[in-house]
Amino acid sequence: MKVKDGKEIVRLEKVVKRFGDFTALQGVDVSITEGEVVVIIGPSGSGKSTLLRTINQLERHDSGRIVVDDVELTDDARSLAMIRAETGMVFQQFNLFPHLTVLRNVSLAPQKVRHMAKDEAEVLALELLDRVGIPEQAEKFPGQLSGGQQQRVAIARALAMNPKVMMFDEPTSALDPEMINEVLKVMGELAADGMTMICVTHEMGFARNVADRVIFMDEGEIVEVATPGEFFDNPKESRTKVFLDQILTH
Amino acid sequence: MMTAAPYRTALSGRVDWARENLFNTWRNSALSILSILIGLAIAYLLVRFVMFQANWDLVAINRKLFFIGSYPAEETFRIWISVFTAAALIALTYGTWVGRLRPFVAIIAVVAVIGLTLGLGAEHSIVEYEFTDQIESIDGEVSVITGIERELVADRGWAPAWLYSLSLGLAVPFGSSWILLAALFATMASVAWAGKQFLTRWKSNPVLIQAFGAAWVLLIPFIFLMQSGVSSGHWESSFLDILVFTVGGFFSFFIGIGLALGRTSPFRAIRYSSVGYIEVVRAAPLLVWLLFATFLDDELGPVGQVFSSIDLAYRVMIVFALFGGAYIAEVVRGGLQSIPRGQYEAADAMGLSAVQKYVYIILPQAIKAVIPALIGRFIALWKDTALLAAISLVNTLEKAKKILGGQTDIADGAFFEIYLVVALIYWLVSYVLSRLGGAAEARLGVGRR
Repeated sequence: MKVKDGKEIVRLEKVVKRFGDFTALQGVDVSITEGEVVVIIGPSGSGKSTLLRTINQLERHDSGRIVVDDVELTDDARSLAMIRAETGMVFQQFNLFPHLTVLRNVSLAPQKVRHMAKDEAEVLALELLDRVGIPEQAEKFPGQLSGGQQQRVAIARALAMNPKVMMFDEPTSALDPEMINEVLKVMGELAADGMTMICVTHEMGFARNVADRVIFMDEGEIVEVATPGEFFDNPKESRTKVFLDQILTH
Repeated sequence: MMTAAPYRTALSGRVDWARENLFNTWRNSALSILSILIGLAIAYLLVRFVMFQANWDLVAINRKLFFIGSYPAEETFRIWISVFTAAALIALTYGTWVGRLRPFVAIIAVVAVIGLTLGLGAEHSIVEYEFTDQIESIDGEVSVITGIERELVADRGWAPAWLYSLSLGLAVPFGSSWILLAALFATMASVAWAGKQFLTRWKSNPVLIQAFGAAWVLLIPFIFLMQSGVSSGHWESSFLDILVFTVGGFFSFFIGIGLALGRTSPFRAIRYSSVGYIEVVRAAPLLVWLLFATFLDDELGPVGQVFSSIDLAYRVMIVFALFGGAYIAEVVRGGLQSIPRGQYEAADAMGLSAVQKYVYIILPQAIKAVIPALIGRFIALWKDTALLAAISLVNTLEKAKKILGGQTDIADGAFFEIYLVVALIYWLVSYVLSRLGGAAEARLGVGRR
């Protein structure tokens, strides 16, 4: 199903990923259009994170095709480098570099990968820190920030590469409850600005209000794809109904 | 109205501290008094030995031998220039990037006091005079013998004997080496200060960083260049030890990092050869490797021939670099293992290349995490230079033995004094290394994540 018209930015065909005997992805097909916000939900172990991580090859897939912004992933190392430069990733555990200042965390990749001048990269970094609402923390180290602030730095760091698509791997799961909203707010603003986003999250409010499409995964396959309204109010598949019952009625 | 808080003077504060911490219970008081008495007894014995019992004459007249051995006197400028260059570079780097001058000056002061005390060039002479003596043998026969008596005459200047002993000749007229040594410490302190005053604000400027990087890379070639007019056979004593340690230690650091990365390489050939190298090199004591390096001839074909054609001193440096590298590899590997997987993933996801990932993200954190263990390895490597005595190189220890063996007529059994000085020289460099490690830890904020 298609919600938005536009250029296809991510395409997965028959992607299979195995960990030993366990098959994490059993032939997944996904197509994501420029400017679309897709939320992937599903029970733990359903392959949501693995799906994200095969797109930028933090996990190598075993078979299937992956195309990002017209670049097909091949054995050629250059295709991998291009795809990684065009996809930004935000992790559950932030994974900021603790030995670098916030400013350097954000400005490092544009400088080293995009060969931007140092001054230019720092101006960009300050702009992005301003955009995620923490310009005053630029000279601090990540360890001196709260979890919510760290995750916002991580978002700025991913944005600094000016990616075509942003991927969020449970960005609020490691946060204290009072900090979840500040991160979701930044993500919502990003979506409003037209960023293409793929989010693995358990925040159903975010899925309902911000997503263009919701993908429900279970046991390594895509069970249902729908608009948020359809998905939450009128799910088609029985597995979706069971899952929604479990998380929405407690 | 505000009531004034009771004002604690520094002294009464200390008295209170002692009362609360050292004499708070009768058991604690007894332990404190016992410790103080033992400390006083040790201090008394030490002072008594240094000032009144020890015979420092042998040390005093051989100070040059302890530092540079039989290095040609007219060529010592080569060593001085190297020492001044290295010291100035260390001080300038420290002043610019660490900037805490007070502990730095304190370290210089400790080294300076000992260095100047052991300073070169005492005023002394050995007076020879003929003597005749009558000897009566057991059976009553009297014979007359003549011979030459040698006696050490040290000019103590105006200083009383005990002050002369304590300072090992500071009180005698200053020699040129003593002035150079004093100038060296003054240079270090002032250059560090200048670095802090004028360069700190440029410390993240890439041009300055590159200039310092180039200066550090060129330092060792420069020191070798300075030695170009002198055969390596003249390298002796502390100078030899420091040269072998510095060059060997410098290269062992990079070899160690290379091996540690090799051990974690995805390529099996690199991984297995790194593991094999580390296991083989660590399996034998350094002394055995040094003996191999000494006696290797053409047993290994062209490799052995090339290797054995190098001067022994250089071969020893190569052994130190290769041997030290195997140990440092294991230390760095420990650091690499402490880096969470997320750091690798974040670097990958940003599109950094493998080299960039290790240079900017992984290695700085891994090395920072193991600085204390690394400093330990370097101190061990420094003290391993004592082994050079076993392979016909004249290090500080061997020089001390030669002094004791060759000057028996004036040595008068001053073994303890001589070896005390040897120990002091080993301690001095270890102390500087440990302080440098402390400065690096403070600068990089070890323990802060």
